[in-house]
Amino acid sequence: METALNQTFKTKATKLLGVNKQDAKISKTYLFVSFVILLVGGFLGLAQGLNRAGLLELPSWLNYYQILTMHGVFMLLAFTTFFTFGYLYAGLSHELGGLLPKVRKIVWTAFASKIIGAVLVVIPILMNEASVMYTFYPPLKAHPMFYIGLVFFAVGMWLCNVGAFIQVANWRKNNKGKHVPIFSYFATGINVLMFFALIPVAVEVIYLIPWSFGWVKTVNVMVSRTLFWAFGHTLVNIWYLTATSAWYVIAPKLIGGRRWSDTLTRVVIIALVIMNITGGFHHQIIDPGISLPVKMMHVFMSLAIGFPSLMTAFALFAVFEKTARKQGGKGLIGWYKKMPWGDVRFLAVFIGMASFIPAGAGGIAQTTNQLDTVVHNTMWIVGHFHLTLGVTVALTFFGISYWLVPYISGRILTPQINKLGVIQTWIWTIGMIFMSGAMHTAGLFGSPRRTSYTTYGDHATALGWDPYMMCLAIGGTLLIVGIILQVYAVINMMFFAPKGETEFPIAEAEENASPTPYWTERWGIWIIVMLIVVAMAYVVPLTEFIVNGPPGSPGFKTW
Amino acid sequence: MTQLLVGLIMIIFLALPPVAKIMESVMIIHMHMQMPMLIIAGFLIAKVFQERFPGFFDKWNRNGLPGIMLFIIIVSFWTLPRTMDEALNEQSMEVFKFISLPLLAGIPLRDSWKRLEKLGRNIVVILFTILFFAMGWLYVDAPVQLCNNYLVIDQIILGWGFLTTAICFVIYLGYVFFVDPSKYE
Ligand code: HEM
Ligand SMILES: [Cu+2]
Repeated sequence: METALNQTFKTKATKLLGVNKQDAKISKTYLFVSFVILLVGGFLGLAQGLNRAGLLELPSWLNYYQILTMHGVFMLLAFTTFFTFGYLYAGLSHELGGLLPKVRKIVWTAFASKIIGAVLVVIPILMNEASVMYTFYPPLKAHPMFYIGLVFFAVGMWLCNVGAFIQVANWRKNNKGKHVPIFSYFATGINVLMFFALIPVAVEVIYLIPWSFGWVKTVNVMVSRTLFWAFGHTLVNIWYLTATSAWYVIAPKLIGGRRWSDTLTRVVIIALVIMNITGGFHHQIIDPGISLPVKMMHVFMSLAIGFPSLMTAFALFAVFEKTARKQGGKGLIGWYKKMPWGDVRFLAVFIGMASFIPAGAGGIAQTTNQLDTVVHNTMWIVGHFHLTLGVTVALTFFGISYWLVPYISGRILTPQINKLGVIQTWIWTIGMIFMSGAMHTAGLFGSPRRTSYTTYGDHATALGWDPYMMCLAIGGTLLIVGIILQVYAVINMMFFAPKGETEFPIAEAEENASPTPYWTERWGIWIIVMLIVVAMAYVVPLTEFIVNGPPGSPGFKTW
Repeated sequence: MTQLLVGLIMIIFLALPPVAKIMESVMIIHMHMQMPMLIIAGFLIAKVFQERFPGFFDKWNRNGLPGIMLFIIIVSFWTLPRTMDEALNEQSMEVFKFISLPLLAGIPLRDSWKRLEKLGRNIVVILFTILFFAMGWLYVDAPVQLCNNYLVIDQIILGWGFLTTAICFVIYLGYVFFVDPSKYE
């Protein structure tokens, strides 16, 4: 444990890992925006939590559904996107010898496009013209500006993908026959997945724009939902894959160990890229219009993603145990004492990983049709994704920030900030146990999601949810404290911490590993396999929805 | 050995009556999932045959052409509406499907692919691209039911399955023709 901490605190040693100033600026800007969004999104979340507990009545000029739409868009789309690209580009720059000037230009353009997009999305929400939630399911109809904003945001994401492709392709040309370094390999997988996942939602938004202007009268609701989830599901898995990259590549280094099998790591990435988009259907298990055998097939497709995810859990616990034993850990479970629990960079990531066990179990339950009918559209689901996104992804991102922000800012992680981070991690964990636990339970008793506070005329069942909603509010309050501490830590590390060099911690491959086969580099082939799998999965429902389609729905503004 | 085992387990699993029934109840899953999986099973099993009977394969399939011809014939046979129908109606035809696809398509495919030149491989892919576009067009455009067992909508779905797969083949061909691997490898 001491060794791991000392490595960063005594950072003078490794001067050769200097940061490229221009690239650092990119990552710094992305991360700064990301955490500002987190702060705002957190307060919106708190407002929802307090409202649902009956403690806070929201003003008419900023109602529950406006807040909910913003919270969803901020947390699921914006916080995560800005963080991911800040992180990935820092890694690409570090591993591949600095970004190309062309790539820098692309990434800055992407940044502008995303900011313009975000502003265009937020304005109509604030005007109460777009309370359509982050899923913007038709026939709910938002102001056209909302959809146009989404297009700008998506273009921004695409540009970032393209920038990464150019960077990696250039490196490969200059390093013929070599394997792309592992962090950049993860970045490639993440960008490939995002690039293709954006296509269906872009198609949807493109036809929603004329509809929201009123030029086209009706819209096919089922097609829209399907296109949305092809993206929405994959997006969440992209954040998960981003978090996974830190588990595989960074965490072993922090505990002074080596990575897990390089070949299998790359195989996991390929598998997750190929099979992910088809998982979108598990969000439509309760939707009409999809026949049962097809839904059955999709259960298998969803569970197929579970396999590489399970490999992940196996791999990392194996790495941790191996490292701890090398450092003198003993006994069946005694080795856990050797882990650097006082190091926030490890602790946050570890809790993020561990929380994926209950989160994943819940997810498997939800892919089962019968079980899902009980929890669909209840607070259970909200509890589920606050575990997956709010803990697994968010805590891993927080853990990353404690070395990434100092690294790009040319500063160090001080023991004080480390301690603050450890405290924040525990606050976050306890807050989420309260909030997510309460959400899961209330959901089982039927409390609906996306519904502002109501007692349904003092109905006994609805009143029975109140104690859980109180727990939810307590959890939410802890979480906002956590967010404030986290954002304070980031600002401190970015602008005020003592200057110094921080390392970008990439772990070495296993000792005497067999060489990784070259076919892992053939992304062209994997992309085509992915496209075939996606085509097979989506052709059935989409053709049915279109050929046997109903007349379509006009738009509604129900709020 | 593991490959043989995986292949055999796949065939047995696919042949289980409830599995076969549910897969065959959807036209596109029947043709684009069950059948390819049977071929993949044969592909896996092939290794054992290649090791046991190297002489046989060297003698009859030296340049890969006979094997790939057999593969093409068997696969084309199973893309016909009539054969699908018969597999559902006649027990013997169903058995033939479970034997022919792994043994007469999967095994020769694996043995031949290695032996074919790059040009040969590309010609095979081009052939299937054309076939898939043609079959797609047939299934999408046919105004009548082509199979007694499947509805017109199933047919249209299958047709789009063919077309989308054909598009993926085109992308593959584009990748092969325009990306020069010697720049990277
Ligand atoms: C201060 C911390 C947070 C609090 C108090 C909080 C609270 C809530 C509440 C009460 C809801 C929804 C309730 C409803 O369905 O009516 C909600 C929805 C949601 N939250 Fe959070 N949350 C927090 C942090 C996060 C984080 C970190 C993420 C993801 C990174 C996140 C993602 C979401 C998403 C995607 C929704 C769904 C919105 C929708 O249904 O349209 N939240 N949150
Ligand atoms: Cu999903």
